[in-house]
Amino acid sequence: MTAQLSGTGPNLDARRRRSRRAAWEEPPTAAGTVAKGVVLTLLVAAVLVPLWAVLVTSLASRDTIDTAGGMVMVPREIDPSAYVTIFSGGQITRAVWISTLVTVLGTTVSLVLTVLAAYGLSRPGSVGHRGLLFFFLLTFLIFPGLVPSYLVVTGLGLKDSIWSLILPSAISVFNLVVIRAFFMNVPGELLDSARIDGAGEFHVLARIVLPLSKAVIAVVGLFYAVGYWNAYFNAVLYIDDNDKFPIQRVLQSYILAGQSPNVSGAAVSLPGVTAYPPTLAVKMAVVVVTVIPALIVYPFVQRHFTKGVITGAVKG
Amino acid sequence: MQPSPPGASTDRRSLLRLLGLGAAATVGATTLAGCSKEAGSRGSATKADAIRSVLPTHKPAELLKPDIPGEGPIPDGYLSYPRTLVDAVTEQPGRGGPPIRTMSPWWGPAPPTVGRNSYLAAVNARLGVEVDPSLQDGTTYADKLNAMLGARDVPELLSAPNWEVDKVARFSDAVRALFEDLTEHLKGDAAAKYPYLAALPTGAWEYSVWGGRLYAVPFPTDGPFAYALFHRADLLARAGLTAPKSPEELHELGRQVTDPAKGVWAFGSVFEMVQQFFGCQQTWRRKPDGGLEHKFENPAFAAALEFTAKLFADGLVHPDTVASKGADEKQLFKAGKILMYQDGLGAWQGMQGERVKELPSFDMQPLPVFGAAGAQPVIWGSEKPVFYTFVRKGLGAERVDELLRVLNWCAAPFGSREFELREYGVEGRHFTRSADGSPVPTELGRKELGAQYTHIGGRVPVKVRSGDTPDYVRDYLGYYQKNIALMEKDLFAGIKLELPANWSKIIQPTDDKIRDILRGRRPVGDLAQVRKEFLAAGGEEGRAFHEKALADNGR
Repeated sequence: MTAQLSGTGPNLDARRRRSRRAAWEEPPTAAGTVAKGVVLTLLVAAVLVPLWAVLVTSLASRDTIDTAGGMVMVPREIDPSAYVTIFSGGQITRAVWISTLVTVLGTTVSLVLTVLAAYGLSRPGSVGHRGLLFFFLLTFLIFPGLVPSYLVVTGLGLKDSIWSLILPSAISVFNLVVIRAFFMNVPGELLDSARIDGAGEFHVLARIVLPLSKAVIAVVGLFYAVGYWNAYFNAVLYIDDNDKFPIQRVLQSYILAGQSPNVSGAAVSLPGVTAYPPTLAVKMAVVVVTVIPALIVYPFVQRHFTKGVITGAVKG
Repeated sequence: MQPSPPGASTDRRSLLRLLGLGAAATVGATTLAGCSKEAGSRGSATKADAIRSVLPTHKPAELLKPDIPGEGPIPDGYLSYPRTLVDAVTEQPGRGGPPIRTMSPWWGPAPPTVGRNSYLAAVNARLGVEVDPSLQDGTTYADKLNAMLGARDVPELLSAPNWEVDKVARFSDAVRALFEDLTEHLKGDAAAKYPYLAALPTGAWEYSVWGGRLYAVPFPTDGPFAYALFHRADLLARAGLTAPKSPEELHELGRQVTDPAKGVWAFGSVFEMVQQFFGCQQTWRRKPDGGLEHKFENPAFAAALEFTAKLFADGLVHPDTVASKGADEKQLFKAGKILMYQDGLGAWQGMQGERVKELPSFDMQPLPVFGAAGAQPVIWGSEKPVFYTFVRKGLGAERVDELLRVLNWCAAPFGSREFELREYGVEGRHFTRSADGSPVPTELGRKELGAQYTHIGGRVPVKVRSGDTPDYVRDYLGYYQKNIALMEKDLFAGIKLELPANWSKIIQPTDDKIRDILRGRRPVGDLAQVRKEFLAAGGEEGRAFHEKALADNGR
């Protein structure tokens, strides 16, 4: 897109290689460049410094942490004992496995359901699509209450099952609308030509529409995956069995362990409860474990990001 | 203009129809409206007489003579761990019934569950019935509780912290609908069947009554004071300073020890303790004319506010505390970055024992209580139990009896084998013995124990000396004995209050305004305005409610 805008002449191309500036723009002043550099450095630091502190603290010894009075910025030693602690208990390993399962299974289920619904709703004339879409959009306005949701999940016998972490949030209407808008931009002529060749709706979807929609599927898939990986509230509500906790639920129990419950007007003494809270290093080690998967996946999907979301958003 | 997408358009009538349908469904559903404080809830109060008549007869069950006997709400103290233990329960409590599902709060990583937890296996073998505990995160317990109560989906034994119970509107309705009335099982001498439940303090039982009936087994507090102002006695001594005896000395001390260049500030959160030093009540106190006065109307509160705002303004408070509610003051205190902060007395032993391992000189002590300008200080506190344990309704008398027998076992006192097994697990596996005979948890012990039986059973609280905190029991009980006379008398002791919704709703917004004044974002003079808004928005309604509750009880 930028190549088209900047013209085709050899001179212009040569200039473009030196600078991304448009021909009519003034060269930046030194002060401007410095200011820009400072602002960007600060922004990057705002993102990286906390990550750095988490990583260094997770590898610090207890004495280093207590001397620093909290998060450690300057590493004094590398002490892997926090990681040894969390992986020796079995709970973190199991929770990572459950979260992975929920994320993979949930993302698959969500994508299949969302794509099918979006495709149906994107075809004018499909049965009841006006009513259905209205029904979907209504959930933007009216959120089912905590108790009704709980009743439905327990009524379906999903309590203490990993499906209770997947089905209640299987379709995000926002993602549905994004994909539907994308599908509506697929030229009707393409679909018609496929139908003339004898393709049915499923065939059209699988062979024509989906290959053209890789970008949006990737992005929505990432939305879903990150959502499933980060979700913990459904686990708070629906999972009683401590062995079935996903990683975020476990992370929360580590991070908040040992804090006095916040009660208006009194600090509550909890006899016997706060005797052995996990060290800050252990808490931070759990944070590292929960953050890593998102950090790994993100760069792979990032290139689809702008295209996938912008297309769906502006051409709806 | 872009045409609207097909299906998205609708007319007003169909939307209203749909909304109407939704409303009808909500009304018709079989849910308790116990999810949140509803607007319009007027509150309710149970009379003290009605409460007294259903309480168990108190019979102390002391297996060991305490070294420092407690009085009233102060626990007994023991300066050594007993060499020989006795069997407190001779008959197996279980009657071979099905597994007992329990739910209790826990603030930490969840221990393994039945089948993979040798501690649970050991205790269950002794109980003669399988207890299958589910430990839920204490910080989100209210959400879980609301959903479960609303959906009428509760386990056989449910332990709930008192502050979560207080948040649930119309809890007395929920109690009647969902939980077993234990009055006939535990009233008066009937409780003798469960001797260790009968030994729980009467002050704690008083709070377990809803609508004149006994509905829960309490888990008594091990110390009634709400806060202490902890200070680093080791650091003050090293700097050649002594503990202050007046607000002026406290301010002066703050000035001397604060050194931002070294990253050291005198204070974390202290406001609640300063109020107590200035003699301000926790909420209500009686005026000479018999009516009630809220603390915002007490000049002592204004003085405490002004004093604390000055500590902030003079830069004597750690920036983390200034910036947020979530400052980790425990860490700052351990590191010596702050020298004083207020916390529950329950924080004392754990922190002292943990930090002294790396810093042998570490010595945290509650600051001796002093008054301001000749006025007597008061100390806030109550005998409210920490948790309540409820029994699911409709299990039949036989099963309720079995559950109460299990709870009785879980309440076995200090000095018994049951106590040791419950608190520490099996010797050699979950704990080893130190030279003085006291149990020291092993790695496995720390991993597998999560107060699974302690939190459901209540127990008579005791304080026991441990090797890493040798002076703690004397210091702790000494602080209580010295100051118990200053504890504010609870005007409403023994009256069950369910506060009006408007009252509950204004607490947080008002707290936020006071925070702003403390931090200098509003002038101290704004207190009059804050007080006016508070009284108008529910404060007066609260006053009328509380005055009526007192009048109804002839107080």
